[in-house]
Amino acid sequence: IETVRDFEEFPKRDKVTYMYYTGRLDVFNENFSAADHKLSYALTHCNPQSEANIRMILKYLIPVKLSIGILPQDCLLQKYNLVEYRNVVLALRRGDLRLLRTALEEHEDRFLRSGVYLVLEKLELQVYQRLLKKIYIIQKQRDPSRAHQMKLEVIVRALKWLKIDMDLDEVECIVAILIYKNLVKGYFAHKSKVVVLSKQDPFPKLNGKPVSS
Amino acid sequence: EDKEEGQEVAQQWEDDWDDDDVNDDFSLQLRKELESNAEKN
Repeated sequence: IETVRDFEEFPKRDKVTYMYYTGRLDVFNENFSAADHKLSYALTHCNPQSEANIRMILKYLIPVKLSIGILPQDCLLQKYNLVEYRNVVLALRRGDLRLLRTALEEHEDRFLRSGVYLVLEKLELQVYQRLLKKIYIIQKQRDPSRAHQMKLEVIVRALKWLKIDMDLDEVECIVAILIYKNLVKGYFAHKSKVVVLSKQDPFPKLNGKPVSS
Repeated sequence: EDKEEGQEVAQQWEDDWDDDDVNDDFSLQLRKELESNAEKN
């Protein structure tokens, strides 16, 4: 919609409402940068007395922030009773794929109803990145000279420990996606089933930008 | 003062959480798992 008047001329409450609804649209269209901007505006400018409104905004802003690699602090989840996000956040911190899956399953109804389920499902890639990073750091502490060579077998083992059964081909496929999306920097030594990680910044951070598509 | 509280909510985010710390329980268990398997090979 072409704005006839300058946005700033409208009453504050109308601006907040406008940003909230168009921000939600941006969530569904997966325009996370725009959604972040609009929902953050709504959050900063809405009536701070209205906890219900803040909660409504956060319900959408939290999945957006998670998608761009930013985590809500636990006090925020507690204060506005959004504890369904707690294990999702913890899964991202740990690299715990299993926890992410069980957290989504547990609150499936709620996430489907608000329409953020698909957004949260895509966090899997970030969780894989974090898990690989942890494996890398653990390997590095053991043997710094060979840490940048990560056997796919080792990833399979870590996933098996998380009760996720994946074979070498499936893991190779996931790592290929991570490389393509710039969540991992490196290349495959296909025959030896090894990912050779870049020595410089092998796990680039999102830094407030969405995962590249 | 409205703005202040709005700002406060807006500040409760962490963008620099992806650290190199592997001393949490999850990482310690992962390490144990990987090392026990490494020994078998």
